[in-house]
Amino acid sequence: MEFKKKTLANGLDIIGEVKKSAKSAAVGFFVKTGSRDETKQINGISHFLEHMLFKGTDKLSAIEVNEAFDRTGAEFNAGTSWENTAYYAAVLPEYLEQVTKLWIKLMRPALRDEDFNIEKNVIKEEIAMYRDTPSFDVMDKCQSLYFEDHPCGNSVLGTDESVDGLTSGQMREYFTRWYAPNNIVFACAGNFDWNNISSIVETSCGEWKQQEVGRKLSEAPGGRKKKRVEKPNLVREHICLMSAAPGAQDETRYAASLLGIIIGDSVGSRFYWELVDKALAEVAITYFFPMDGVGVFYNRICCSPENVSAVLGIVEGIFESLCKGGIKEDELMKAKNKVLSKLVLENELPMGRLSALGSNWIYLKQYRTIEDDIRAIRAVSVNDIHSLIAQFRPSEFTQYSIGPAKTD
Amino acid sequence: MAERFDKHILKDGMVILGEPMEGVGSVAFGFMLPAGAALLPEGFCGAANVIADWIFRGAGDKNSRQVGDALDGLGLQRAGSVGSSHISIGAALEAGNLAKAIDLYADIILEPTLAEDQFEPARQLAIDAVRSLDDEPRQKVMLKLKEQFYPSPLGRSSVGEIDELKALTAERTKQIVKDNFNLSQTIFAVAGKYDFDAVCRQMENLFETAQQQPVEQFGLGHKAGRYIHIDNEGAQVHIGLMTGTVRPIDEDYYNARVAVSVLSGGMSARLFTEVREKRGLCYAIGASYHGLKEAAGIMCYAGTTPEKAQQTLDVIIGEFNRLGEGISEEEIERAKVGLKSSLILQSESSSSRAGAIGSDYYILGRVRSLDEIKSKIEQTTIDSVVGFLRSSKFEEFTVVTVGPKKVSI
Repeated sequence: MEFKKKTLANGLDIIGEVKKSAKSAAVGFFVKTGSRDETKQINGISHFLEHMLFKGTDKLSAIEVNEAFDRTGAEFNAGTSWENTAYYAAVLPEYLEQVTKLWIKLMRPALRDEDFNIEKNVIKEEIAMYRDTPSFDVMDKCQSLYFEDHPCGNSVLGTDESVDGLTSGQMREYFTRWYAPNNIVFACAGNFDWNNISSIVETSCGEWKQQEVGRKLSEAPGGRKKKRVEKPNLVREHICLMSAAPGAQDETRYAASLLGIIIGDSVGSRFYWELVDKALAEVAITYFFPMDGVGVFYNRICCSPENVSAVLGIVEGIFESLCKGGIKEDELMKAKNKVLSKLVLENELPMGRLSALGSNWIYLKQYRTIEDDIRAIRAVSVNDIHSLIAQFRPSEFTQYSIGPAKTD
Repeated sequence: MAERFDKHILKDGMVILGEPMEGVGSVAFGFMLPAGAALLPEGFCGAANVIADWIFRGAGDKNSRQVGDALDGLGLQRAGSVGSSHISIGAALEAGNLAKAIDLYADIILEPTLAEDQFEPARQLAIDAVRSLDDEPRQKVMLKLKEQFYPSPLGRSSVGEIDELKALTAERTKQIVKDNFNLSQTIFAVAGKYDFDAVCRQMENLFETAQQQPVEQFGLGHKAGRYIHIDNEGAQVHIGLMTGTVRPIDEDYYNARVAVSVLSGGMSARLFTEVREKRGLCYAIGASYHGLKEAAGIMCYAGTTPEKAQQTLDVIIGEFNRLGEGISEEEIERAKVGLKSSLILQSESSSSRAGAIGSDYYILGRVRSLDEIKSKIEQTTIDSVVGFLRSSKFEEFTVVTVGPKKVSI
């Protein structure tokens, strides 16, 4: 594996990791913007803009864009989070140049009114679909409750109302600022020719204009609010508990990912043995989610409405025993083995490498090999986890639940 | 480099398959046990889901906790599923731990403790999985669709029915494990970094027994019906639609795959273009080929708000029917490139290769090489695909909707 890097005069970073033995390559643009960079008035615009990029340029219609992608056989997609918008494709080496050129064109979209109006319907259907997915909905709503007025509380999708109110003018303005080259990373991984791909990017993107752009970071309020919403068509109780965790730049993020596995991996964790193994809850999972300057642990639980108080009592007991008794050496060893094997498996695919490359560059401006990550995980000690628990106190959580109407 | 497949058959008939992969440090393996939903005795729908959990709750000389700890200690990324024909269990891991992992799985398959006190939680979780489906209409609609579409018992719900799960006893379930964990009909597949000789020696030591009587095969019954609606006061109507097509073993299989790809292979395919791009009716819309050994169909999902449900369904059915009217050179080229690329992209993952060689062997009795599949795809032409579509028209659609509004068929 060989790491390559070039920064253009306009601030666009081009990075790559070449692995000639791979059968494919993965390519992507990572834009440092998401719903936390929106105001309430334009909530949902980052995600809507992600959809609009596929609607084409001054020279390409939406249908032509789709055809051009499909001619390469690429597996491509895009995703918007609270703070990043990523456009990516996995493709056979012989089509990489074609796909790269296409993404470059799409990164300067036409944003036509006509497309904007049709796509608004699609966005509202997506919002409706997630309303029918309580496992997603409960985490999204809990995030807003946890972050209160902090911009990380902005919903990625927005609401029917906020999306209805958006105009194409607002979108153009937002695009010009946040899709500036100095706010974007281009990355490529797998089997590709660095000189060829980087010079294509340089020639085509060198003219993009730099802007003043950047995100102001602020502390997350956290807090211990509780909220429950009833939905008569549901039969299970969906619960999300959120607490503070290290951010993406924090050295303790490796310890945090291990703590997440110890508390709530889908098998073999404390949640698993206390809740799922005993059939008190069918889902009890912890996710560590590091973001720019802040981080959170999500604990997602799904159980029968009758079990809610027993389940929450056990969860509190687990958090308390972590604070008082800490963790055991062999718990940490098992968590490390799981994280390491997942890491190795993910990184065998060019798409897995692309996502690691992109996120390390966005958050750290750093190239990290898999070996760097393996070393960092191996180095975490029981004491590191104990300090983390003392600092972040998982027992102090915000709680959001969605469930059926209470019968009592 | 030409692909290589490894194959060895134990004296009892258990099949060991392997596909070595270059440049990977991982290995993935899976056991396909003939205990899928369609192979269970009548009245015990859902027992497979209970079994897939119960067998991990203690095996050999280890109790439930010790089994879990041993698996986690090896860093296994576990995978398991219940299908129509098999319970599949397996994992992906660092190659160095393969032998230890196989030892553990041998205990789980051959010597599960099946303790009474562990039966209740396994059954309760299976019941909860059925109940949870009410809150996940997208999953529920597709499960119901297969149930309606396939002749009984092929489409039987893999999660089961609450009444039948409630009536299930530990004793009866134990008997099903005994009857259905039949090594003579079990397939083991491994892909990635491994030493096939060592794997075979280990498998012989662990799994070679006397030939066992085959699991009783089922006869095919009737289809359930053409349309059902399940009321749910959710935000969308979730539409599932399925129509019959050729099986993987049939001559026209690749023509069917290319046809489905023209319909829904990528974003330029017909369904996405007509339903989403031109009309903005849906966010999620797509169709795919679903093939079992005995029968196959093209299944389609769309989710849309109630006032658009009827139009969405009408446009979808229109597109199915329009396929046979002809396809363009450009369309078939894109469909073929898409199919071939996705085949190669998936071939980089050890888990997906282990799954693919196991299912090929079960369905076709042999493993197809990527080159063979590629060349079969390349051989299809507009004439062959359209000819196939005209000779086997989509005559009947099975439809299931979950949501606040019915549609008319």
